[in-house]
Parts: sequence; structure tokens; C-alpha cells
Amino acid sequence: MQPLIDGLIFIVDDDASVREALAWLLRSRRLASEHFGSAEAFEQYLDEAPLPDQPRCLLLDVRMPGMSGLVLFDRLAERGLLAEMPVIFLTGHADVPTAVEAVKRGAFDFCEKPFSDNALVDRIEQALGMSQRALEVQRVRRGLADRIAELTDRERDVMRLVVEGLPNKLIADQLAISVRTVEVHRARVFEKMEVKSAVELANRLRDL
Amino acid sequence: MADEALDVPAPPPPQQQPQRRGWGVAFARLRSLWKRWFLWLLLAVLVSALLVTVVWLAGRHEVEQVQAALERDTADAVVDLRSGLQRNAQSLRATLAPGMERTHWADRAAAQLREHREWLRLEWRDAQLQPIEAVNTPYRTRILEESNRGPAQADVAQACATARKAGAPAYSPSHYVPVAGGGGVEVMELCLPMDAGDYLVASYSLRDTLVELVGPTLTRGQEVAFTEADGTRLVALGTSRRIGTRVFTSQQRIDLPGASLMLRVDGWRAAPDLFPNMLTALVTAISIALVSVLVLLARDTRRRLRAERDLADALAFRKAMEDSVITGLRARDLQGRITYVNPAFCEMVGFTPEELMADSVEAPYWPTELAHEYHLRQTRRFAGGLPPREGFESVFMRKDGTRFPVLIFEAPLINAHKVQTGWMSAFIDVSEQRRVEELSRASQERLQASARLATVGEMASLLSHELTQPLAAIASYATGSLNLIGPEARGEQAEVAMAVKRIAEQADRAGQVIRSVHDFVRRRDRMREAVAPQALIDAVLPLVRLQARKLDVTIEIVCEERLPAVVCDRTLVEQVLLNLARNAMQAMDGADHAPGSRVLRLRVARALPVGATVPADGRRWLEFSVADLGCGISEEVAARLFTPFFTTRPDGMGLGLSLCRTVVEQHGGALMFEPNRPRGTVFRFTLPAAG
Repeated sequence: MQPLIDGLIFIVDDDASVREALAWLLRSRRLASEHFGSAEAFEQYLDEAPLPDQPRCLLLDVRMPGMSGLVLFDRLAERGLLAEMPVIFLTGHADVPTAVEAVKRGAFDFCEKPFSDNALVDRIEQALGMSQRALEVQRVRRGLADRIAELTDRERDVMRLVVEGLPNKLIADQLAISVRTVEVHRARVFEKMEVKSAVELANRLRDL
Repeated sequence: MADEALDVPAPPPPQQQPQRRGWGVAFARLRSLWKRWFLWLLLAVLVSALLVTVVWLAGRHEVEQVQAALERDTADAVVDLRSGLQRNAQSLRATLAPGMERTHWADRAAAQLREHREWLRLEWRDAQLQPIEAVNTPYRTRILEESNRGPAQADVAQACATARKAGAPAYSPSHYVPVAGGGGVEVMELCLPMDAGDYLVASYSLRDTLVELVGPTLTRGQEVAFTEADGTRLVALGTSRRIGTRVFTSQQRIDLPGASLMLRVDGWRAAPDLFPNMLTALVTAISIALVSVLVLLARDTRRRLRAERDLADALAFRKAMEDSVITGLRARDLQGRITYVNPAFCEMVGFTPEELMADSVEAPYWPTELAHEYHLRQTRRFAGGLPPREGFESVFMRKDGTRFPVLIFEAPLINAHKVQTGWMSAFIDVSEQRRVEELSRASQERLQASARLATVGEMASLLSHELTQPLAAIASYATGSLNLIGPEARGEQAEVAMAVKRIAEQADRAGQVIRSVHDFVRRRDRMREAVAPQALIDAVLPLVRLQARKLDVTIEIVCEERLPAVVCDRTLVEQVLLNLARNAMQAMDGADHAPGSRVLRLRVARALPVGATVPADGRRWLEFSVADLGCGISEEVAARLFTPFFTTRPDGMGLGLSLCRTVVEQHGGALMFEPNRPRGTVFRFTLPAAG
């Protein structure tokens, strides 16, 4: 088989044959997947280790013994995982209204069984794209946060005032330091934050 | 505010009013008393008057009798006196006729005096009234002085003159002659004229006259006296001892030539004699008897009055009872004629009592098409056929022609002489009962029908779920295979690709079929309405109660206040409640049967949406819970609880809970269960609230 696309799909369904068939279908489109027999098992998996840093997506059966798909969905929503791991509900015809409801509450999509063509896989790929974007944003934010963490307290004060648009002189007045010192701090902030201008710095920080 | 105003007590009524009313009541009572007792009073007065009159008359009659006897005695005494005096005069004339020797005369006179004690003295006088000879009575000491007797005696002279004129004896008025040593006697002179012109003068002592001439005829208790015309008593003779206190008096005049005297007789009687004789006693006795009879009569009348009043009360009570019962009552005589109907019966059939009691063979409330049959039944009844004790059903017709079913109880009507006089029947209009039965049967049928429908739906749902899983797998494999083969396949691979494509299509087609079946069954999904939670519980409660009574289960219902309505397919949700409640009660059936150990608790409360711990969206949810104190659910059963066709009961189909979950999930809710404290199980499901 061809090398896999960067991405991981979690399948949660109580029916083993459906899980295996789905996994096989996904592999045919060069998508890797992990499958779980119940919502509880998946939750346990989430708790055990951080997820690998790659786009991901969850195929979730609505109706399962024990914790239902909807309950799991709500818990994921509570943990704020929906953006980086979009959820696609797998439903029987009977559960369509429930699934529609779930989509309204933030699910990526739902797919009615039996799914005959590649439409499901296409949606999965879109979901992975969304996950990737979300992870990217997350990564950028995390980098920014790391950089801000590297700043000294004084540099952070200077940065705050620079972003507010104050000239060096006023900054010096407010912080009761010399203009020269302000310039040094400013240069250090630009260097550490990997920006070239105050505008670029402000834009970066707005993302946070 | 308005309510408060209403609560303000009315001003107290003026104090005079009750008093005035009291007076009025007292007056009315007096009047009724007067009315009631007037006749009795009148009767008593009349009886007393009669009694008094009779006694008085009897007394008067007796008095008259006594008086008459006295008068008679007096008259007899007068006659005795007269004849005695006359006889005396004659014997005087005979024995002392003049022309005799003086000595002889004296002897004869003395002899006469011995015979007649009433005389005090006999004198022979000449024409000039000079005494020739005189003899005194031997019984007395000399009373009359010689010296006083002569022509100078005016009364003697008067008497003699009268006697001479009449040629018959004459008397002088009486005069008092004192006696030496106190006292005196009343003396009356008799002058007898002689042929020779001389006179015989006899001095009567009035007292002795009474003793000699009247005395023997006197009876006990009588006093006889001479009085003058003016009533002055001269002499009296009689008992000194007086019997009784009442005196009867009779007096008669005795006219003697030359003198006039009154003879007076006093009779003493024991008085007053209230019961002096048999008549009075009899009258009194009869009166007493009469009064006693009257009193008895009065008492009897009073008893009768009381009995009448009691009877009237009893009648009124019976009437009120008959009028108040809703059971129709009808009495028939042995000929089948209606003799009595109560208002309830009239109201039931819509005929007036007059119409019902008309003399006809067929009752007006018999439906025309059944009249013959009823007639036969009636004939059979009168022939002695006893009706069933538990009553029998029949159909009657109202006046407007509508038919209605009645339950009839019949019993023979026995009079005071233990003779059957007819039949008494009680009727209960059971049309309302029938209607309710019909209604409850209809509602049960509706529930059963919906249960059937829900079961079919659940079967379809199960089939679709169970089939869609393998179909989904098939479709996935097919699609995956096509992906692997790729679009540029040639030769055999292209054939395989085509076949796999067909497989995918057929799987899709199977899915479509399932979908259409599903749609057909689920058409009622749209039948959502807003229903009050209490109404859902109320709808299933009768059926739940039925089973609860059989299994001796107590039902507790806890419904939070001011709950919003739930949006649901009412029939299906009722089915869920019924299923859960039945399961719960059956779970308690096997458990030990201590008091309070069998409680089914139905609860409705506000709830959070499924899976959320905080109200995530604006929608409100209601949670229904059904808790039992049964044996609980073991782990292996719990794992398969919602699996279709899984059941722990031999007669169960294993669709109940799975159906319940389908219904609840269709509404967007969830069905959960957990162990109850201290034992048993709680099933909970959520449904969206309206608004």
C-alpha cells in the first residue's frame, strides 16, 4: 500500500465488523485509524496519553450500550477537544434527528449508515484538514506563549507599552528608565518574538 | 383585596330582634297551647259546674224535704194542740157544769186538775167574775195569788166578754206570773161561759201545755216553743243537746178565740252535709268516674297525637328517602298494575307518575320491540318465578324513545298480614356505567394498539439497526475495494471493479428499502404535542393501579410544581411509562413482602440535557423516573438490558426496554438506569420541555 497521509482517525462503534470495515475503507484511501468498542474505552485512551501531534478526527456511533455517542460528544465538547478533533457521527436512519441535533451543537457532520461511496472519506479528509488548521493555530499560539515566557518581566512591560503604540520616550517616562534602556529592551523583544516591527508584534499577539 | 373585603364579617344584628322573635315564639306557643287545651278546659269547667249544680240541687232537695217534714210536724203539733185544748174545754164543760154543790165542784175540779197537768187552777166565777170557788193544781206550789184574781183582771175579763159574746170558750193573751224564789211561768186563761151566766176560768201553764199536748209527738233534735206574733219566745220545750249545727225552723199561728199564739218548731240537723244521701254520692262517684275517663281519654288522645306525629315523621323520612335515592323504585300489584313509583324512576324514564300508573297491560317504558318479551317475563314472575337475587339487566325506553340499559332487582311485596300483594322493583340506570366501561375499554384498546404499533416500529427499528450494521460493513468494504482497484483498472480487474460496484449499489439499495420501511413506521414521528407531565402520568395510572392492586404495590407520585409541558408523542411516551412501571412492579413481585417493601415511585423533575452537567443550551428538559424496591439488576443482565429480544421473563418478548429507549431517543432524550437505594432499580429518561 501507499504511504499514509498524515492524520489519525478514531473509530468508536460497538459493532466490530463495522469498525473493521471502516478501517479497511480508510486504509484504502491511505488513512490510518484506531478503533474502540465503546465510548468508555476511547475516553480511557484519551486519559492515558497525550494524542500524537497530527490531524485527527473521530467517527462516533450514536447508539451504543453503556455511554452513548452523544454523551461522549458532550464530554469532549466540555474538554474543548472538538476543534482539533472534529466529530463525525455515524447514525442509523432512526437516529438522524439526534445527529442533526448534535451537529447543531458543534459536531462536524453526521453520516447515515450504510455509507455507500467515498463521501464519508471525503468528509473525513475535510475534517482532518480542519483539525490540521486547528493544530497549526494551536502550535503557533503555543510558540508565541513560549516566546513570551522567555521574556524578562521588564521586557514584557516594554512590549505591552509598545503594542499600545507609545513612543520610546513615553515608555521610558512611564517605566522610569532611560530611553536608551527602552531601546535595548525593545530590540530584545523584537528579537525574541521574531518580529521586525511593532505592527507585526501587535498582530502576533492578537492571535493569542 | 376583593377577597379580604368579602371576609369582613357582617355587622352584628340588632339585639332586639332575637328578643322580639322570642316574644313572637312565646306568643305563638301560648296560642297553640290555648288552642290545644281550650276544649279540655271548657270540658273541665262544664263538668265541675254540673257537679256543683247536682250537689247543690241534691242539697236543696234534702233541705226542702227536711223543711217539709218539719212543717208537717208543726202542723200535726198545732192540730194536736187545738184538739187537746178543745177536748179540755169540753171535759171542763161536761164535768164542771154549774148547778152543782160547791163542795162537789171542788172535788171534781181537783180530780180534773189531777188529770190535766197543764192547768194551774180552775175557778168558778160568777157573772161579775167574782171567784165563787177555785182549786189549784196539786202538782205545784201555789203560784197564782187569790188576791190578784177577780174582776180586775183585764185579760180574764176580756176573754170572758169574748166568750160570752160568742157563747164559746175564749182565751186570754198569755201573761207572765213571777214565782216566789225567782223565775215565773207564762199563763194563759181560758174562760168558759156557763148557761147561768157564770164562768169557768182555767189557767193554762203554757209550758205544761206544751209538755202535755205537744210533747209526746216531738221527735229527737226538735225544739218546740210558743212565741208571740212578734217572735218573742214565751216558753220552749225540747232537747237541750243540739245535734248538728244547722237549724230548720217552722212556725204556725194558732188562732184561739181571744188569743193568738205562734207555735214554732226548730229542727237541728248536722250540716253542711255534702254527701247527705245516696243521690249525691252517686252523682259524685259518676262524676269522678267521668273525670277519670276524661283524663284517660286525654292521655290516650295525647298518645295518639304522639303516635300520629311519629307516623308523620316516619312518613316524611320515608318520603325524603324515596325522593333522594337515585335508584328508581316501582311497586306493582299482582295484576301487573303499577301502584307506586318514586321520583327517581319518573326521572329515569321521563314519564309522570300518572302516566305510569295508567291502567294498561304494557308499561309505557317498555321498548315496543321488546314489549312481548317483557310481558312474558312479567307473566312468569306473577306465576311465581323468583327473580335472580343479584338482579338482571334489561332495556327500558324513555319518553323520547331513547333506550337505556337498567339493572333490575325485584322482591315480593308482603303486607302486614304476610300476604304477597305485589312486587317491589329497584332500578339502576347503568347507561353511564356502560359508557364509562366503553370509554375505558376504548382507551385500553388505544393503548394496546399503540403498543402494537410501537412494537412493530421497534421491530422495524431493530431490523434496520441490525441490518444497517452489516450493510455498512459491506458498503465500506466495497468502497475500499474500489479505491484499491483504482479507476484505471483494465481487464479482469475492471470486471471485479464492476462487480464490487454492484455490491455497493445493492447494499445501498438494501439501505433504501430499510429506510422506506422505517419511514412508513415512523410517520407518526411528527405527531408531537405539548403535554403536561401530570397528564402523561394520569393517563397510565388506571392501568398501573390495576396491576399494583394485584401485586399489593403502593404507588407514590412526586411531581415538581409548575413543571413545563413536555413535547412528545403522547401515546408512545405513555407506553414507555407503562412499560417501565410494569417492569418495576414485576421486579418487586418476587421480593419479600414486608410492609412498605413494595413501593413504586414515579417522579417528574426538571433536568439537564443528556450528558451535560451544566445547562448548555437554552432548552429545558424534564426527567421522568420510575423507581422500585425490587431485586435490582445483576451485572450480566445489565450488560444486555437493551438488547432486543433479551428478556428475563418466560413470557416476555424482550422488546419493552429496547422500545422504550428507541422512543426516548427519538425525542432527543436518553434512557438510563441505576441501582436504587437501598435496593431496587431506578429508570430515568429525559424529554424536552416546551418553549
